[in-house]
Amino acid sequence: MQPTSGISEGKFDYKAGKLIKVRAVFEGDKIKEIKITGDFFLHPEEKIEEIEASLRGKRINEIEETLRESMGGAEYAGISPEDLTYAIREAWKRRK
Amino acid sequence: MDLRVIFDTKHRAYWNMGFDESLLAHLDEIGPTLRLYAWEPPAVSIGYFQSMEEEVNVDKAKELGVDLIRRITGGGAVYHKYELTYSIVLPAFKGRILDSYRVLDMAIIKALKKLGLEAEHHGINDVIVNGKKISGNAQTRKYGGLLQHGTLLIDVNVEEMFEILRVPEEKLKDKMIDDVKHRVTSLKSEGVDVEFEELQKLMAEGFHEALNANIYEEDVPQKIYDYAHSLEVNKYATHEWNFRR
Repeated sequence: MQPTSGISEGKFDYKAGKLIKVRAVFEGDKIKEIKITGDFFLHPEEKIEEIEASLRGKRINEIEETLRESMGGAEYAGISPEDLTYAIREAWKRRK
Repeated sequence: MDLRVIFDTKHRAYWNMGFDESLLAHLDEIGPTLRLYAWEPPAVSIGYFQSMEEEVNVDKAKELGVDLIRRITGGGAVYHKYELTYSIVLPAFKGRILDSYRVLDMAIIKALKKLGLEAEHHGINDVIVNGKKISGNAQTRKYGGLLQHGTLLIDVNVEEMFEILRVPEEKLKDKMIDDVKHRVTSLKSEGVDVEFEELQKLMAEGFHEALNANIYEEDVPQKIYDYAHSLEVNKYATHEWNFRR
C-alpha cells in the first residue's frame, strides 16, 4: 500500500531526449522536496533552482501547470515541461 | 570576424574551467577567442545539472588521481584523458541556442575532414564518424556572450572510463561497456595518428573555415588570468560547487 498521507519518498529516471532523474520527498500528495538532475540542457542553467522551488508545496495534480509557468521563457533540450511532469508523476507512483 | 587563438597545453580541471569562464566574462575586452587545451591529471567533468555522487565513483576517482569537476554547461559526464578540448567565446548568436551547436560543430567536422574523416552533426550536441560519437559539445550563454566547449577524442579506453563513472546497475556494467564501445570512437580507432600540436592547428583551421574568421595568435591580458585564478580557487576547486547537486 502506498501512503496517502505522511512522508514518502519517490524516485524515477526517465530517458526523454536525455536522461532526467527525479528524487522527491512527498508529504501527503504535496511535493515537500525535489531534486532534478540529468544530462539535459536548460538555458539559463540557474533556472533549474527556480523550477525546483516552484514545485515545492505543490500538489501532484498541480505540477503540469506549475512547470509550464516556471519553465516558460527558458530554452531546453532533452527535457520539457511534459517530460518532467511525467517523470515526477512516475516518482509519485513509486513512492515508499 | 577576427578570432584570437590560444594554443594552450595541459592544465588541471579547476584551472581549465576557471579560464574558460574568465574568457567568457571578458569577451567584451578580448573579442572572440578560441582556446585549444588538454587535462593533467585526467578528470571527469559533469554537466551543470548532474549529481556528482550519482555519476561518479568518487572514492575510485580519488584513488586513481582523477580530478572531479562540475561544468557551467549542461550535458553529460565526460572522462578527459586522451583528447583535445576546445573552448570558444563569441558574442551570442541570434536565434535558438540549439541551432548554434550546428554552426560551431561544423568547425570540428571541417578539422576531421582534413584528417580524411567524414563526420556529421548528430542529435543535439554530438559529432559522429561512421555512426559513432567522436566529439561532444556543450554551450552556455552568460555575460552577454556564448561559451561552447567540447572534446575531440584522440583515443578512448572505455574500461578505464567505467572504473570511475557509475552505471545504473552494476550487473549490467559489462553490457554497458560493450554498448559504449559500439557507440563511441576516436581518431586512433579510425586509424588516424596525429600529434596534439598538429591537431590544435587543424582545429583552429576548422574554426577559421566554419566561422569565416581571421585567426590570430595573441595572449590575453593578465587580468583574465587573475580572474581565472580566482574562479579556480573560489569556485571550481570547491566541494560546494562540485557537489552542489
